[in-house]
Amino acid sequence: METVLFNLIWVIPLLTVLACIPIPATCERALRAVHTASVSFVLLIVCVLTYRVFALGAAPADPASAPFALRFFTDIPWLSAFNAHYIVGADGLNMLLLALTAFIVWAGVLVSYKIKGNQKVFFALIQLLATSVYGVYMSFDLVLFFVFYEMEALCMYLMIACYGSGRRDYGGKKLTLTLAFGSSMILATLFGLYFESGTGSWSLMEISKVTLPMDFQMWAFPLMFMGFAVSSSLFPFHFWSPDGHSAAPTAVSMLAAGVMMKMGAYGCLRFAMFLMPEAAKIWLPYVVALLIFNVVLGPFIAIRHKDLKYITAYSSISHLGLIFLGLAALTPVGLRGASLQMISHGFLTGLFFATIGMIYERTHTRDITEMGGIMKKMPFLGVGFVIAGFAGLGLPGFSGFIAESTIFIGAFQQDSTLTRIVTVLAILSITTTAVYILQTANRMLHGPMPAKFQTLTDGCFREKLVIVVLVFCLLLIGIFPGPFADMLDLSIAPIFNRF
Amino acid sequence: MSIPNFIIPDLLLLLFPFIVIGSRLFCDAKSNVPWRIANIGFLLIFLLLNFIPLAGGEGRFFICNWRVDDFGVFMREVLVVSAILGMWFSKDYFMHAAAGKPQMHQIAEFIGAIAFATFGGVTVVSACDTITFFLGLEIATIPMYALTAWNKQDQLGSEAATKYILMGSVATAFELFGFSYLYGFAGSLHFDAIQRAVAAGASPLLWIAVLFLFCGIGFKLTLFPFYTWAPDVYEGAPTPVTAVLSVTSKATAIAFLVVLVYGPLAPVQEQIAPLIALLAGVTLFVGNLGALKQYRLRRFMAYSSIAQAGYIMVALLGTAAMAKTAIIYYLFVYAVSNYLAFFVFGIIGHHREEIFDSLRGLSKQNPSLAIALAISMFSLAGIPPLAGFFGKFHLFFSGATTGHYMLIAFAVLNNVLALFYYLQLVKSAWVDEPDGHLNPLRLTRRQRGVIILLSCAVVILGFLPFLSDNIFMGFSGL
Repeated sequence: METVLFNLIWVIPLLTVLACIPIPATCERALRAVHTASVSFVLLIVCVLTYRVFALGAAPADPASAPFALRFFTDIPWLSAFNAHYIVGADGLNMLLLALTAFIVWAGVLVSYKIKGNQKVFFALIQLLATSVYGVYMSFDLVLFFVFYEMEALCMYLMIACYGSGRRDYGGKKLTLTLAFGSSMILATLFGLYFESGTGSWSLMEISKVTLPMDFQMWAFPLMFMGFAVSSSLFPFHFWSPDGHSAAPTAVSMLAAGVMMKMGAYGCLRFAMFLMPEAAKIWLPYVVALLIFNVVLGPFIAIRHKDLKYITAYSSISHLGLIFLGLAALTPVGLRGASLQMISHGFLTGLFFATIGMIYERTHTRDITEMGGIMKKMPFLGVGFVIAGFAGLGLPGFSGFIAESTIFIGAFQQDSTLTRIVTVLAILSITTTAVYILQTANRMLHGPMPAKFQTLTDGCFREKLVIVVLVFCLLLIGIFPGPFADMLDLSIAPIFNRF
Repeated sequence: MSIPNFIIPDLLLLLFPFIVIGSRLFCDAKSNVPWRIANIGFLLIFLLLNFIPLAGGEGRFFICNWRVDDFGVFMREVLVVSAILGMWFSKDYFMHAAAGKPQMHQIAEFIGAIAFATFGGVTVVSACDTITFFLGLEIATIPMYALTAWNKQDQLGSEAATKYILMGSVATAFELFGFSYLYGFAGSLHFDAIQRAVAAGASPLLWIAVLFLFCGIGFKLTLFPFYTWAPDVYEGAPTPVTAVLSVTSKATAIAFLVVLVYGPLAPVQEQIAPLIALLAGVTLFVGNLGALKQYRLRRFMAYSSIAQAGYIMVALLGTAAMAKTAIIYYLFVYAVSNYLAFFVFGIIGHHREEIFDSLRGLSKQNPSLAIALAISMFSLAGIPPLAGFFGKFHLFFSGATTGHYMLIAFAVLNNVLALFYYLQLVKSAWVDEPDGHLNPLRLTRRQRGVIILLSCAVVILGFLPFLSDNIFMGFSGL
């Protein structure tokens, strides 16, 4: 029963799209109701299943899923022509990421009620995007994984270019093509993995049983790692993210920054590092060197920007850099911190983009120099933004603090001068983060209010609900990190044991 | 003499064009009878093809010179599907004139010519000796020359046909030269004998023959550096002819290569692999580069199909079974996606000029048409879960079986380039604001039906793998 429910997670969004085909595009209320019901139902399923995974704890799992301990494990032959299987399962890591996705998709649908244009197509695309992200986190077969991973490109471009703002065609193309560039690198390595491993299987578990030839690993690891890192905007492939995010409609920014960028980091950990640990040890120090840009320079660039979405995009770049710092540290604590940061940053950036979208919907500008005194008219949204900002700079009590401090501890444990220097720089860069967050909040929320903002109203119930739920999640992880860390530790152990 | 069952569709296909053209004797020019006969005939042949049992073996007929094997049966299906879709597509051009073009006449002869070209393709896959092989290729090509020049008053069409004939004749000369050297090398016309001779040892004579054969077929398959005729012919020919040309003629040419590479030349496949890899890599790169700057719809499709030819060539590096499966699947996918694109362009072309700007605001005025266009473009670009992705995956997988990772990495990177120009087209339809000067579009019932059918086909061909292979049995065991 639970296994069927688990498989339904990615099927329900697709079914919703099919169910909406007969509804005419003019019945926007009905469409919104159907989609809201669907995403809420998926959210419910995911929450229940997450609790089940937590409750099962270290209980023995299906032996077929070794070395992972996967719950709801399903393995069905799929494409006989190249022996691909439909393999899905859940451990703590991907279950928590699924939960994150479900929350962000739910919030994304709720904030898009007033989107302009053909809502039927828009919500269908959001559901397709949700299918792709759920599928990526669930699958343990390389072909299945890639099918879901590449699917996003189809939805992202259309959503940004048709429903976005500003330079939407440019931003959409930049994002889609850069991501496609990354996935083409991954696809090339997938073929290599299949044929070089000689297992005749695309299953992650099967391939991990062989030690891949070192000369193959040496070129395949960087290719695959960078391919994934493109979607997590690791320097030098970060350039798509500010333009893409700023052009995208609110829900898409939330999904892109909140969950899609985590797909890259997740892929690095689950696929690249897990399958090619020997090469990972050699190459990861170079990644640490790249991180200096993300972690140290990212916040400085954010200071100079005046567009709210650009600021948030650069803040995302620096936060995602911390994930890679945790991964590159190669210590259990570092890996735990990295995976905590994936989840924490998902909620954080979701909240950020949600409040920015709501404010933009009212003020029709995202330029902080044109804003002021918003706190007087929109206290709720203003407070939401400030909370997101505080969580972003790692204030204790919020999830960001737990995640980041874990990463710093883990990274410092590693016996390498470079990593330690970068860690110290990263810790210092929090000050820079504080500068741009406080500066933005101050300019936007306080000070004299332009006359044209006199008629603005505060968030409606729907919007307040989104903010409250996301803040609740941030606080939950921040105040009770124990259960989450336990779940993550159990699922990281099989990966770390390879090193 | 008894006629084996598996030969019946081929005989029907041979008789069929005569019946369609002959029916003109009994009815006037405006009559719908030939059209109905053609529909029934093609659908009947397609049905019959599905009844040929696939056993992995092959049947031979006509002093062992006519062969029907699994690959041949599927190729016949691809060719017949292409002919049916081409016929449905052309119907509207015989009823109303497209914008800026004279109206087309003589539908019976037109369909007859398509049927002859189809029969030519069938002959190529069935041939067991070089004479039949060569005849098949000519039967497939010559009707295409006539089809290209169907609008006698259209200057562009005549120019295109002239170019096509000149280039095609040169290609034919190259092929004949190659075949003559092949005969000189092996001392026999029969494929089995040639294969034995090739296996016994290669000589410079053989390499010259191979080179010339590849040059000759390079023209027909639009491989680099012999692709230059394609954009002009695609642009100049009547739109339905362009559609048929891009599928039937390409399928015939690729079938020719498959028969050649995995038949007589099978023993030296490894030695000619570098040549294939080079042609594939350069062709798909050139096709993709060429498509980047196009703004006329059919010229754009010409470059896109050049690139697709390059992708198909990648599969020829693999083992026989793998490559044949990959190519058959891809040709189906390519046929369906390409025809879907052409149907959309055809509707545009009936009312507007055939350029990117004519697509402006399509998503607001005709959302279903815009969705169909996006589906076909994303499928051609190879984005999952659409059919094009699985098609390309198959092709790359076939190439990877023999370890050509570098070529595959190159091809996959090229996909990004391809995605760019397909997005460019999608952008015109989805992002650009409507232009008030454009004529409104009207869809007939047939057009609407075919577009829905083909869109579903592209989506389902992609999802078909999900439904195959006892996935339901797997689920029932949970």
